[in-house]
Amino acid sequence: MSIEIKQILTTDGIPLEKSLKKAERINKIKAFLLVVPLLLFLLITYIVPIGELFTRSVDDKMITSMLPTTFKAMKNWDGQELPSEEIFASFMSDYKVLVEKKEQGKLGQRLNKEKNGFNSILKKLLRQMKNFEEGNYKEQMLTVHERFGDVKYWQAIKRTAPPYTIAKYLKAVDMYTDENGDIVKVEENRRVYVKLWIRTLEVAFFVTLFCFLMGYPIAHLLATMPMKYSNLLMICVLLPFWTSLLVRTASWMILLQQQGMVNDLLVLIGLVSDNNRPELMYNKVGTYVAMSQILLPFMVLPLYSVMKTVSPSLMRAGKSLGGTPFVSFWKIYFPLTTSGIGAGSLLVFILAVGYYITPELVGGASGTLISNQIAYHMKKTLDWSFASAMGLMLLSGVMAIYWIYNKLVGIDNIKLG
Amino acid sequence: MNKVSKLLLAITFAFSITSSAFAVTAVSWGGAYTNSQKLGYGDPTAEKLGIPINWVDYSGGLSEIKAQKEAGAITWDIIDVYAMDTIIGCDEGLFIEFDFDKDFGPAPDGTPASEDFFAPMPSKCAVGNILYSWNYAYNTEKIGSKSPTTIKDFFDTKKFPGKRGIYTGALTNLEIALAADGMKPGKGGANIYKALNTKEGVERAMNKIKALCEDPNGGCHFWSAGAKPPELLISGEVVMTTGWNGRFFGAQMDGAPLAQVWDGQGLDYQYMVVVKDGPNPADTMKVIREMMSTEGLAGSAKHIAYAPFRKSSLDVIAKGEPWYKDGKTNMLPEMPTSGANTKNYFLVDAVYWADNGTELGEKWEAMKAGLK
Repeated sequence: MSIEIKQILTTDGIPLEKSLKKAERINKIKAFLLVVPLLLFLLITYIVPIGELFTRSVDDKMITSMLPTTFKAMKNWDGQELPSEEIFASFMSDYKVLVEKKEQGKLGQRLNKEKNGFNSILKKLLRQMKNFEEGNYKEQMLTVHERFGDVKYWQAIKRTAPPYTIAKYLKAVDMYTDENGDIVKVEENRRVYVKLWIRTLEVAFFVTLFCFLMGYPIAHLLATMPMKYSNLLMICVLLPFWTSLLVRTASWMILLQQQGMVNDLLVLIGLVSDNNRPELMYNKVGTYVAMSQILLPFMVLPLYSVMKTVSPSLMRAGKSLGGTPFVSFWKIYFPLTTSGIGAGSLLVFILAVGYYITPELVGGASGTLISNQIAYHMKKTLDWSFASAMGLMLLSGVMAIYWIYNKLVGIDNIKLG
Repeated sequence: MNKVSKLLLAITFAFSITSSAFAVTAVSWGGAYTNSQKLGYGDPTAEKLGIPINWVDYSGGLSEIKAQKEAGAITWDIIDVYAMDTIIGCDEGLFIEFDFDKDFGPAPDGTPASEDFFAPMPSKCAVGNILYSWNYAYNTEKIGSKSPTTIKDFFDTKKFPGKRGIYTGALTNLEIALAADGMKPGKGGANIYKALNTKEGVERAMNKIKALCEDPNGGCHFWSAGAKPPELLISGEVVMTTGWNGRFFGAQMDGAPLAQVWDGQGLDYQYMVVVKDGPNPADTMKVIREMMSTEGLAGSAKHIAYAPFRKSSLDVIAKGEPWYKDGKTNMLPEMPTSGANTKNYFLVDAVYWADNGTELGEKWEAMKAGLK
């Protein structure tokens, strides 16, 4: 026995279920169309550039296509001793092709990044190769420059063979792949990036801490004072916020330098002697002072907006239940503001990690952070793939912090206002 | 010929006329230096050829032009660059290669351009513009009773206690460190670069700088902008600082009590390059030929104490003394190339730096990061 379910039809004879789905689909498409501009915007300004950054940082195809026969010949070379005549000859044949295409300069630049000193011996080779005789290239190249007889230069070529490489990421943590394929640290006096990463995190951490210590009382005052005073105070917070970053940095320089106003004042009131003025700038002190002041509003504003929502009656209730002012603050008020602290700290930390103009101007030798190195490799050495690798590492570092924060506090608890 | 092709021809002709009236864009470092170029040879050339020249400022490096090329929208024609960048840019195919005797006019006495230039070019893409000096200076009002006279004094913190201003990169610092450590530079600095080609030499130079920076009586202040050294001296932030002689001279002319020390100076060159596939190739070649002529280069020395790259320009200046724009200062003694200033000097070796710059840069930064 079976019960036949009769389909419910709409007036125009289409099953209701179908018609409903159709209507919903149209609504879904409409809703989707509304967010399309935003998605496109994200795609064009965010996802594509980051993808480009990533491909740049690992892409090493250019040289793979420049020296095809050399790499083929090198397949069976163990990389321990000076290569055989065959490899020398195939290198010469590849090089001649490049010279015809006038692309030999790019090869020199690329190889020089792998092993310093490569470019000039290739230029010397270019000048002398017209006098070369057929065959016996190994001997002839060794007469051009003794460095062609140094196995390290040939190992450098072999290292560049794969079309994709993680070498730039290794370099950013002071490591490289040696001729045996092991990942090892670079020599002691060239290790700089790990130091700079640590310094960058250290600066960001302390700036966040100082901003919190200064911002919390200010935000509390702002939230609890009567309107006419708090407005004035708010302007004091916002006015520097609206001033250009460079102007603020420059004013700190005027204030803090050894012959500057702060030192003049200290001398005037007799706290320090004139020929023994303390250094307030061109060291870490300068970086912390200037960056904390510049980033302070990013801490104050989220804190303020959260504190504004804490009802004053809660504190009164705490007191009436017998809590000292401190206990009621610590047990009631502080926990209620943690979401603001989280938002402010995250904002300040992320901004501080990427700072570079201010530390460079007021930080002296200690003002070199990882962002300065990114700019240096973008502008001066033209090693864009290395700059990309460091940029991505910085980005993933920030992402990791965000993730940890989400695990610990929960991102839903963040309040920006 | 039918009507349509005639029309097309007319349009292309009209277009070529209008496009030739577009300005040539020259890019340089800004400030007093660009000013000397604009007033010295930019404006006279523009007037003579009827081609307007736009001067644009930049802060050095090839990243902008590389980005323009990758984006396929090149807007720069002529760039003023460091020697090292002419080598990199030439290798990367960013600049055009010159045929010197054809692309540049001879000296007034008929000497071909290639022989009139002060030194051979570091690459085929570069044409020499000026010679400048990395020397050092001090504030005469704050130095005390004794005055420094040698490069050794720069490192002598007993005789002259106080902070030193030092260039932020390794370039020229390693050289002066060795010169101050008692090494005779040799002809054009040959000895110094021979030493710097060895690990021990580089280490010796780095240690010398490190010792100065960690000395409680000394200490280093790293500068990067050319305007900074005179400012540091005037404010008294440092007791002496390296810098570019034209900047020191400019401050002196503005009345600052500075004195320059030429012992152990590094002579360096500044070059012009022409961008490949630039917006206005034909006019650009005319403009650069005119600007780099004997009179053109001599003209820039009217406004700044940098030596013109052509030997014949020095004769023009000698005949026209006092050559400085104020009409009373002799320029030849202020030139980094003058006999009195080149008793002990080295020529900054662009090829050496193009080869080793990256590695030395890392070592330098590591040294700086480890400073106490």
